[in-house]
Amino acid sequence: MGNISIVVSLKAPDPAAMTAMSTFRRIYPETCPDSLERYDYWCFLNPCLGRETVSGIVSRYHDIVNPNKQIWSFIDEFSKLVDRSDDRMVWIDVLVTDRIDSVSENWTAILRRNNCEVEGVLCSVLWRFGFTSGISFDNARNRVLDLTVSTYRDHGLLANPISQKIDLPAPLRI
Amino acid sequence: MKSAPLVVVIQFPGSNCEYETSRAVQNSGMDSCIYRWNQWQELKDSLPDAYVLPGGFSFQDRVRAGAVAAKEKIMDLVFSEAAGGKPVLGICNGAQILVESGMVPGWERGRIESALAANHISGRSGYLSRWIFLHVAAKARKICPWLGRTGTGILPLPIAHAEGRFVFSEENRYRASNSAALKYCDEKGTETSDYPANPNGSFLNLAGIMNDRGNVLAMMPHPERAYWLWQLPPYLPGEWGDRRDQSLHSGSYASTKGPGSLFFTSLADYFRGER
Repeated sequence: MGNISIVVSLKAPDPAAMTAMSTFRRIYPETCPDSLERYDYWCFLNPCLGRETVSGIVSRYHDIVNPNKQIWSFIDEFSKLVDRSDDRMVWIDVLVTDRIDSVSENWTAILRRNNCEVEGVLCSVLWRFGFTSGISFDNARNRVLDLTVSTYRDHGLLANPISQKIDLPAPLRI
Repeated sequence: MKSAPLVVVIQFPGSNCEYETSRAVQNSGMDSCIYRWNQWQELKDSLPDAYVLPGGFSFQDRVRAGAVAAKEKIMDLVFSEAAGGKPVLGICNGAQILVESGMVPGWERGRIESALAANHISGRSGYLSRWIFLHVAAKARKICPWLGRTGTGILPLPIAHAEGRFVFSEENRYRASNSAALKYCDEKGTETSDYPANPNGSFLNLAGIMNDRGNVLAMMPHPERAYWLWQLPPYLPGEWGDRRDQSLHSGSYASTKGPGSLFFTSLADYFRGER
């Protein structure tokens, strides 16, 4: 029991991840990752929340997961979304969250109004950087921060720290 | 030899306002040409006098609105031209590109010092399309080539965006007021942070900001969509609504310029040295 997070992925290749990757290749040819993935990340806040409640919310509200084009899993069952049976890459995860977020606020209001046992919802974007082996975890982590945090016109891409928070959570177990 | 100042409009993949923006420039007595984002050499060779980044959804707003376009090579050129003093205007998505390029507010060269974050309105999220009112900051009227003719009145313009809320870091909040160019207000000119006068929760009711020199202006409303009076909706209160009604009755409805034209004729005045 506790906060429960899910990740949502497109069934098709994610166009935002492809665009970000091609931009990285162009502006950071030396340090760009070997792979980049993007997921919607939803965290449902309630210390008493059960998985059945979250599954019910996801199946009821197709604005969270549209089953026609998206798939989802609980965060600790992430391997259901990806096949990495022979994966020797170093993966670094980055969560990008708007500091003020109408989407999270409105979903919190909607779910509370409908008695969904949820105290709050946090919506983020989860980016997963993959580097081929040969790079240390710490080096990969530093490189990811450089690539992510946009501080100058020629520095960083995925998050504007003026309006967004950047977190590097513990890597997901796959 | 150029017969009139050349204002280039840069089209990124996903831009969708380049033609009406170009026509607005031409109708204001200047030449205009549309260049695609990958025609940077041709653009450079055309020796532009000013640049406009039009509205739309560059790169489908992937990653973050304006973020990918800001990293394009053509922006190196716009950046250096702006540093040399040439006028640059970003409208809506163009404003997002300027912010993500660090060209506005531009306190430190190339540093990203603000953001155009997602609209923050109680009870709704996402895209918002409506008419708003704004007034022009006195300092901006003096130093910004796009604003010389806008006067002290209240201007109605349309907005259409999901990410239009100007945000600054805590330490730069005081400084931000010096960069104010356009501010949302109600139809009587009163500033309030409440919706709908401030339609997106923008800090200091900012609808547009400029750099210290005033030659780079990033604005979320669309002046090219209010170039003619006939583009104004019939329910619009205030001076411009009255003008619209009068022109309708006098038969000049189709040929009378609207509030959006002031931004482009200001630039024409600037090039004629009339300010």
